[in-house]
Amino acid sequence: MKTKAVKSIIYYIIVALIVVVFIYPFWWMVTNSLNSINEIFGKPTLLPKSWMWHNYIEIFQVQPFARHYLNTIIVALLGTGGNVLISALSGYAFARLRFPGRSALFVLLLTALMMPIEVTIVPMYFMMNSIGANDTLVPLILIPVFCSQGAFSAFLLRQHFITVPKELEEAARLDGLRPAGIFFRIMLPISVPVLSSAAILAFLSVWNMYLEPLVFVSSINKFTLPLSLANFNDTYGLPQWNLQLAATTLSVIPVMTFYLIFQTKISNAMVTSGMK
Amino acid sequence: MRSSLKMRVICMLLSLFMLIVPVVAGGSTESKAAASSGPVHIKIATWTSNPDQIALLQSFVDEFAAKEGIEINAEFESIEFGEYNTKLSLELQGSQAPDVFWVLETSAPAFIASGLLAPLDEALAEYNPEDFSAKAMELWQNGGTTYAVPFSTSPFFMIYNADLFAAAGIETPDQLAAEGNWNWDTFRAASKAIKDATGVWGYQTVDGGGYDVRILHNLCPIIRSYGGDAWTNDGQILINSPESAEAVQLFHDMVYVDGSVVPPGDQSDFFSGAAAMTAAQVSRVSKLSDVDFAWGVAPMPAGPMGDVPVTGQAGIGAYSKGPNVEIAKKLVAYMTNEECVARMAGIWPPARYSVLESPDFLTSQPLLTADQMAAAVGGSIETGRVLPSHVMYPQIEVESRIVWDRLWNPNADVQAVLDGVAEVYAKYIK
Amino acid sequence: MRKKRSKLERGEALTGYLFILPQMAGFLILVLVPLIMVFTYSFESRNLLFGNMGFTGLDNYKTLIEDDLFFMTLKNTIIFSLGVVPLNLVLSLALALYLGANAAGAKVVRSVIFLPVITSGVAWAIVFTYLFQGGEAGPINYLLAQIGITGPNWLHEKGWAMFAVVVSRVLKNLGTNVLIFMGAVMNLPQDVLEAGRIDGATKPILFWKIKLPLLMPSILMVMIVTVIGSMRVFDTIKLMTDGGPEGSTMVLVYYIYHQAFRTFNIGYASTIAVVLFFIVLLLTILQWALRRRASYYED
Repeated sequence: MKTKAVKSIIYYIIVALIVVVFIYPFWWMVTNSLNSINEIFGKPTLLPKSWMWHNYIEIFQVQPFARHYLNTIIVALLGTGGNVLISALSGYAFARLRFPGRSALFVLLLTALMMPIEVTIVPMYFMMNSIGANDTLVPLILIPVFCSQGAFSAFLLRQHFITVPKELEEAARLDGLRPAGIFFRIMLPISVPVLSSAAILAFLSVWNMYLEPLVFVSSINKFTLPLSLANFNDTYGLPQWNLQLAATTLSVIPVMTFYLIFQTKISNAMVTSGMK
Repeated sequence: MRSSLKMRVICMLLSLFMLIVPVVAGGSTESKAAASSGPVHIKIATWTSNPDQIALLQSFVDEFAAKEGIEINAEFESIEFGEYNTKLSLELQGSQAPDVFWVLETSAPAFIASGLLAPLDEALAEYNPEDFSAKAMELWQNGGTTYAVPFSTSPFFMIYNADLFAAAGIETPDQLAAEGNWNWDTFRAASKAIKDATGVWGYQTVDGGGYDVRILHNLCPIIRSYGGDAWTNDGQILINSPESAEAVQLFHDMVYVDGSVVPPGDQSDFFSGAAAMTAAQVSRVSKLSDVDFAWGVAPMPAGPMGDVPVTGQAGIGAYSKGPNVEIAKKLVAYMTNEECVARMAGIWPPARYSVLESPDFLTSQPLLTADQMAAAVGGSIETGRVLPSHVMYPQIEVESRIVWDRLWNPNADVQAVLDGVAEVYAKYIK
Repeated sequence: MRKKRSKLERGEALTGYLFILPQMAGFLILVLVPLIMVFTYSFESRNLLFGNMGFTGLDNYKTLIEDDLFFMTLKNTIIFSLGVVPLNLVLSLALALYLGANAAGAKVVRSVIFLPVITSGVAWAIVFTYLFQGGEAGPINYLLAQIGITGPNWLHEKGWAMFAVVVSRVLKNLGTNVLIFMGAVMNLPQDVLEAGRIDGATKPILFWKIKLPLLMPSILMVMIVTVIGSMRVFDTIKLMTDGGPEGSTMVLVYYIYHQAFRTFNIGYASTIAVVLFFIVLLLTILQWALRRRASYYED
């Protein structure tokens, strides 16, 4: 009895410890986003010392931060949307439609899955350059759609479409539906959970992109959030710490809210990512 | 029937996707179309993001356009200092290339050798060559041709927090300088006295970058006034000479024996009152306009070799393959003519005798008195030397950084580290 | 009848090609072509400023073999992976097992552990750069000072810098693996575990002899995914240490970036990229082999 009580106390201590370890960085970030520069490097406190809400106004003045936010949203929406749409099409075709060369092409596509963008970023830079796509958001949208993440979604969706019972299709075929009709009217609607998994994972990969915008984008109006956050420096390269933290907070909070609302769905999506 | 409808929908969605992409790309195509008719689009890359400084440059462009009778639509691009060379080099590969851009002194030889800078001699024809200090132009010329014009030849000097000196009850740098006692030893003593008396750091390296990106900016003033150098233009490597080692040892002792210098990784900043002294240039003076402490300026401390001022240069050049290269060349010439240079002098002191010798120069920086300007900046421009440079500077910088890092711990063997740095230099400098 | 069916088949094949067309076209242009290009570049003397100075055969590869920096970055990459992967796996497996799916508090832990996963890598690295400040200004050192320990200058001391980078990276990605392991634990065959319990297996035996072998396929899989992920670390390194001090956190990917975009040696950077390609290829082949074996067991 006693050992059980001790055990549950230990259990809760561990739980509390984990919570502290993971919450503290965020807590610290928010607290110090409301501090002045000197306070950030003073003794750490649990609450802001001077409540400088002005930091949150200033970030929009020193950089086109709203524009950066908008760019990120555009890239995330088009990148995620394109990724899911295109990989759903190919995933279904690779799973269910019979055509010569199907498995060979699929294996070929899978090589994209393992290809880190870091390997090909240099030639890709010159390629984008030759079509005038550098310093635009285009490469940032194309990469999540077609490179590693695209192949991953195609793989994920193919694995899913394979498991859908054949009877469903047979019945639809008897009703006179063609393959395209079957795909849109039967397959897509029943696949919404997997599609959203793919979408969530694609979104997170776009959200994390740093090397790509660093290489492909140069003018400040085309920056995405990660570039923007790393760019809160004064003219001579000294970071404007309080602004950087305020901007970082602003970039983190919305996604976090979104996560807390759709927690279960997002968790499930992550479990499927283990297949990658 | 329905399925073909769906098919059409999906095709539409796909083509919509493909359509949106170029729309997102937008901007650039518009501006290019505009270039062929109507105003000329000129993109100017700088590493300053200070709105006043950009406004000044913009006014030059406007005047130039009025003078030439053309319309210029100028786009200023501010690139973060630490990323400047990377971003600029990437942009110069493609259609986003700036027509006019600033050049870092350390990368001048590489940019000149690469052919990315247009020769400016023709555009500079109306300049009086006598007006330029030949020494200041050296870096920007190759085989008698000028490829960029140094718009800034700015000596390093010391800014100090007078309140902290008063609190520690010691003589300020300019008092010491007036007595002829301002040298690296008294500098070191002052830094330590302040740290001991007030607990505030005595010295912050230039822009806080003295341990990494600005390592030579930080060390060269000491090294040179001890009679050493990093390397010389004729290929001698002096970084591990006894003179250089003595100078570096002094700085190392300040950091690790006295503990009076803001150490690596610490973010304490002079301008927020967390350090008593820092090395700076005139362009940094504007940051003093809103500090809440009394401050003063003094020249860099002297060494055994006396006063050996170090200047930092920045050049401006035209992109040789740009569509408007002729206009860009003329614009560069205009922006560095006597009149414009005089107006920039309070931020970026020029290497033009006519400006330096004019009485207006000493009052060109509103925050500095004429005496301060004369003491800290004045003479040093002509006598000062720029940092060493080399065509392979990027490689040298990256590789030597790894060796330099060994210096930043308390038990570092300074001579051994410098020998290591010399070895890296020797790979490239012949 | 037969004719009609083949027409149907032809229609299906056509739809199939149409469906895979966008993906395969993108794949061709954005994956295959750049891959071929990177191989070509690796045989050329290419410079960002000076342009292509021609075919140089194996010169870049010869440079590579003599490049101490390259081997240092290779070593650092391995150290980083050896730091991240075991720590990540042990912690996430322990958490998944210890928390159990339904234990009180498990839900809270699951949520908080996941917050870094949805935070962008740059934001996370920025915050950890502050947390790992040297002196007493850094929150971590401040905390250590309270219990009488003088913390190191984390990001500026050789050894500690790598440690700090590893810690921030493990915390960032732990959540994903915890979730995957939780899923695997939930899917453990209850009857087998029950039988073990009835036979009087103690907890350690239950874990080492029954649970762990059953979880092995997932563990191996997660391991390789984590290894590949750790080979690709970029944002953490660039923002927290810039590869320093003394190059001790300069990893392969960052070295590629350095060579290509800081010193402008495009050709040489491509050569290193080719090496990275083969490393990842090797790991992937291993992964697929393991997957095949794992599914063989499942059947």
